[in-house]
Amino acid sequence: MKVAYYSPLPPSRSGIADYSALLLPALRRHLDVVVAEQGKRPPAADVALYHVGNDPDAHGWIVDALHERPGVVVLHEYVLHHLIAGITIGRGNGRAYLDAMERELGVAGRLLGLGVLDNLLPLLWETQPERFPLAGTVLDDARGLIVHSHYVGERARTAGYEGPLWQIPHPAWPMHDVVPAPDVSGAPLVGCFGYLNMNKRIPELLEAFASFRRERPDARLLLAGGVGERFDIERRLERLGLTEGVQRLDYVPEERLWSLMAACDVLVNLRYPTMGETSGSVIRALSLGKALVVSDVGWFAELPEHVVLKVPVDEFEVQTLTAALGFAAEHAGTLGAAARAYVEREHALDRVAADYAAALETAAGARTVDDAVLYRIAEAAAEVGIDDAAALARAARESGIVT
Amino acid sequence: MRVAVCAPQVPFVRGGAELMTDDLVAALRARGHEAELVTMPFKWYPGTRVLDQAFLWRLVDLTESDGRPIDRVVATKFPAYCVRHPNKVAWVLHQFRQAYDYDRTELGQFSDSPADRATRRAVERLDAVALGEARRVFATSRNVADRLKRFNGIDAELLPHPPQALSYRTADSEGFVLSVNRLDRAKRIDLLIEAAQRESGLRVVITGEGPDRERLEALARGLDGRVQFAGRVDDERLADLYARCLAVYYAPVDEDFGMVPYEAFLSGMPVVTTTDAGGPLEIVEDRETGVVVAPDAAEIARACAYLGAHAGEAEAWGRAGRGIAERVTWDACVDALLS
Repeated sequence: MKVAYYSPLPPSRSGIADYSALLLPALRRHLDVVVAEQGKRPPAADVALYHVGNDPDAHGWIVDALHERPGVVVLHEYVLHHLIAGITIGRGNGRAYLDAMERELGVAGRLLGLGVLDNLLPLLWETQPERFPLAGTVLDDARGLIVHSHYVGERARTAGYEGPLWQIPHPAWPMHDVVPAPDVSGAPLVGCFGYLNMNKRIPELLEAFASFRRERPDARLLLAGGVGERFDIERRLERLGLTEGVQRLDYVPEERLWSLMAACDVLVNLRYPTMGETSGSVIRALSLGKALVVSDVGWFAELPEHVVLKVPVDEFEVQTLTAALGFAAEHAGTLGAAARAYVEREHALDRVAADYAAALETAAGARTVDDAVLYRIAEAAAEVGIDDAAALARAARESGIVT
Repeated sequence: MRVAVCAPQVPFVRGGAELMTDDLVAALRARGHEAELVTMPFKWYPGTRVLDQAFLWRLVDLTESDGRPIDRVVATKFPAYCVRHPNKVAWVLHQFRQAYDYDRTELGQFSDSPADRATRRAVERLDAVALGEARRVFATSRNVADRLKRFNGIDAELLPHPPQALSYRTADSEGFVLSVNRLDRAKRIDLLIEAAQRESGLRVVITGEGPDRERLEALARGLDGRVQFAGRVDDERLADLYARCLAVYYAPVDEDFGMVPYEAFLSGMPVVTTTDAGGPLEIVEDRETGVVVAPDAAEIARACAYLGAHAGEAEAWGRAGRGIAERVTWDACVDALLS
């Protein structure tokens, strides 16, 4: 069975490109996969798989292809406002943006959209995208939906998606010997990796770390990743007296990333508001057997209690985070062992690829199979005077015989 | 307790599974329970028919019969274990293997077409639902339990069952190697005939019927009658063959359980099997209770010749096997199924 695979791939720098680079070889052990390329004729296949994220540059062409030929969508995050704005307003098609807003919020949505187009309102995808996810435009063309979390699955259902849905964990990278980077140190060394912005709760992390460092003056914080616009991190570090205790690195390539993470004692990955995303960085941290502190939101909240420390986003966030850093440093060995065992069990690449194969095989052929079975059931029922074929169909669906 | 034993029936085909369910009903009745075999024909082809057949079981109401409740359902095979009952116990002889380990092998039935792939996945989903709702899931062998775990993530408890009740006994050996099996390709009786071609002193008696008989008989031509096809034999004749043979050959491909090694052991006979035979390897241990060799005619020929030349060892291994087989009782099975 042939699958047309739509996704950004390296050298594109995105978590979804990394994800696909990891998944593709494993998936090819189950299925005949042909990778679609932007600007080229869509490959012939039995089913198409579309990886959708929020970046219009990386995913705009994929959503275009989805509209042309509905298929199975992997929703890597639920909030797609930036993507939708990019492929509508960004292409000079404000009307399509209004349609998307109307689909989400009715007339009020359309009016809000008009406010944005007329510069009467701030750009919603920058100021409050989580309130207007705009995933409906993508869900409408999904013949099957793959999500990584219960959270996103629930949101899709709430938005009216009624098709087949599979929750498949984010795969873990097969572990190899990682040599900890020798050029970073701290006692303990706390690491935070990825794009640095307000959404990653960096201000709260810096405050908590400043407080933590008063108790543990040898502690160091490693911040590795690009900095968001309008986020003056240097000024914040100065204000908190952290110029000594914090080491900043810009984007780091994959190998270096692993070795830096391996050198850390505790890793932190905070988020609010959540866009329903998973985090490759979290999976890497768990694979390395690191003590990990996350925000108690979305997908992160679904990680087991014994594996990560979860910090609620509330008025005590900074204090809780400070305490969590201390606890994680103290119990790094126990937490790390639990993390590694969990990720090996639940996020194994082979298992994830097998789950994908099951979903794609079902999506490609289930309609034919369901029609054949339901037709024969209805026919047999009708022949003996049972006219409530719908009840029989429900029974067939409940037992898993049809989707 | 009123117990319905649910099993599918393939009309005009009778083998180990049918013997087992008959024996289970008899064992339940012997212990004072009301027991009944509930069965339905099973035809698993073409295409999506396998799902219709499963759905039939889904529609059966076994909560009560004639106004009296049925207390327990024991279901043994796909699709019988799709039956709904609040006190269902699955005692899995095997799943629908075409959807699992046979898939994409010559024994499978699903092609690479989207419809076939989706049908296979529907069987998988159905197993998850049907076995997931059972109050307990048992497997008759470690091999079956491992498949349930590997393909469906289901933890099954191991519960082997005793073989059919024959008048097991020992007698003077007549030196032949016995095959007791249905004559189909997956049972690999051809390997034993090819072994006889290589080992001129090897005599073979093959019991059973099946679609592969003609091919096997052609293979055995020219061996001066050293390979005999006895066809289907009655219980007394079978017990006699077990008692008088040198060893029992049993080497299907990745068999689920296999009663034959138990029957051989109860007759005090060692078993010749292969490293890929599956279930039999749980009780046939090389040079302890029989001989385990690669699935290769020359190896099987050597193993049979060795047993022929070392009667003392053959006898000791058969005796050791009997000790294992005698520990598997219907009392233990009934207790587990009804607990």
